[in-house]
Amino acid sequence: MRRLFIKLFAASLALSFCAWAQDGQGGGRGRRGPVPTGPTPKTADGHPDFTGYWRDDGNANPHGNIGKDLPGFKLPFTKAGEAAHSYNVEHTVDPESLCLPGGIPREDAGDGSFQLVQNGPDTVFLYQYGTFRVVPTDGRKHSEDPDPTYFGEEIGSWDGDTFVIDSIAFKDTKTWADENADPHSDALHTIERWTRPDAGHLHLELTIDDPKFYTQPIHFQRTWVASPGQHTREQACSENNIDVSAGHLGFGPGPIRADGTRGYDNPAPLPPPVSKTNPAKTILPPGFH
Amino acid sequence: MKLKLAVFVAAAGLLVTLPAMAHHSFSAEFDGNKPVRLVGKLVKLEWTNPHSYFYIAVADDKGVVSNWGCEGGGPGALSRAGMKKGDLKIGDTIVVDGYLAKDGSHLIDARRVTLPDGRNIYGGSPGDGGPPEGAVTSKK
Repeated sequence: MRRLFIKLFAASLALSFCAWAQDGQGGGRGRRGPVPTGPTPKTADGHPDFTGYWRDDGNANPHGNIGKDLPGFKLPFTKAGEAAHSYNVEHTVDPESLCLPGGIPREDAGDGSFQLVQNGPDTVFLYQYGTFRVVPTDGRKHSEDPDPTYFGEEIGSWDGDTFVIDSIAFKDTKTWADENADPHSDALHTIERWTRPDAGHLHLELTIDDPKFYTQPIHFQRTWVASPGQHTREQACSENNIDVSAGHLGFGPGPIRADGTRGYDNPAPLPPPVSKTNPAKTILPPGFH
Repeated sequence: MKLKLAVFVAAAGLLVTLPAMAHHSFSAEFDGNKPVRLVGKLVKLEWTNPHSYFYIAVADDKGVVSNWGCEGGGPGALSRAGMKKGDLKIGDTIVVDGYLAKDGSHLIDARRVTLPDGRNIYGGSPGDGGPPEGAVTSKK
């Protein structure tokens, strides 16, 4: 019985860890209802309808890492890519903390739930902190000299029931490719293949091709689940961003754990919650007052 | 009976899971080896994005008061964790458990906030790589 107790408790904590690494932005992933079941909804023109609020399914681990599907999560850096990664880690503050758009592929790999609105020739993704992207699906081709942006020049098309987004013309090293400060260059080309196999699930197959920084294309896949009734909420990123304005935030993502996620392997535990045996008394490290 | 208890505890571990987005990595700003407990009177509350801040006046054993800032999740994350803006009033005594900022300033990560009514709330930004809710709070 004792073993069962320990196993159940450990399992619950493990699930907590998995889920905490995911997002619940905009009203997202807190106490939530069941995943909808049933067939894939269709739009009037017969395509799958991706409209809805989507949260992570809990299996995209390690979260926020574009190398999650690679052996050992090891990215195939070129020499320039390795240098760009080191520069990000040692010399750049997380661009998202500066309230810059996460862009692609970071939004695909990251924590955030998002709202998706499919409206005829436009497909709109609404992310946290007021970030959005609009994907035109009207038969246009890439421009001859597109202006670089955080989400790139995105062109949508249908391949059967698969919605394909082909993107080029990204900002270069002004952004991170994922939460771990992995880089991308202005040569980045992404192909996203989105499917909705049933009412409750949204799946992505992503190819990240960046020959300046990676010796071969990176393949990444994950699934989100529908979260009916949720929507993206206002989050004014610059409202009170003293992490940056007061200079508290350091460079890079901090340590990366062996499991491919950011954070300390073994942080020192907090004092136990206040109780009769743990009184409410200030505890500071030596030298602080 | 023991089985029921085991299932209850496991279920409780799941219920307190409140993941959310993160504005930056916990470990890029805070020192995971320097846990802190602050007990003090609330002098200012900023219920803002991308983070909320609790500013508290902390008196030491000699009565000398120092001011500290405590960085919590944004209003959305705190609301989902069970804290409402109206739960706190200026002058309330609160307990904030968290980690010291790496830059040595009087700033901590408000990973756990104990309210005047005794509830302890997960105050961190879920998804930031810091200790998760299930590891730091106990629901009453």
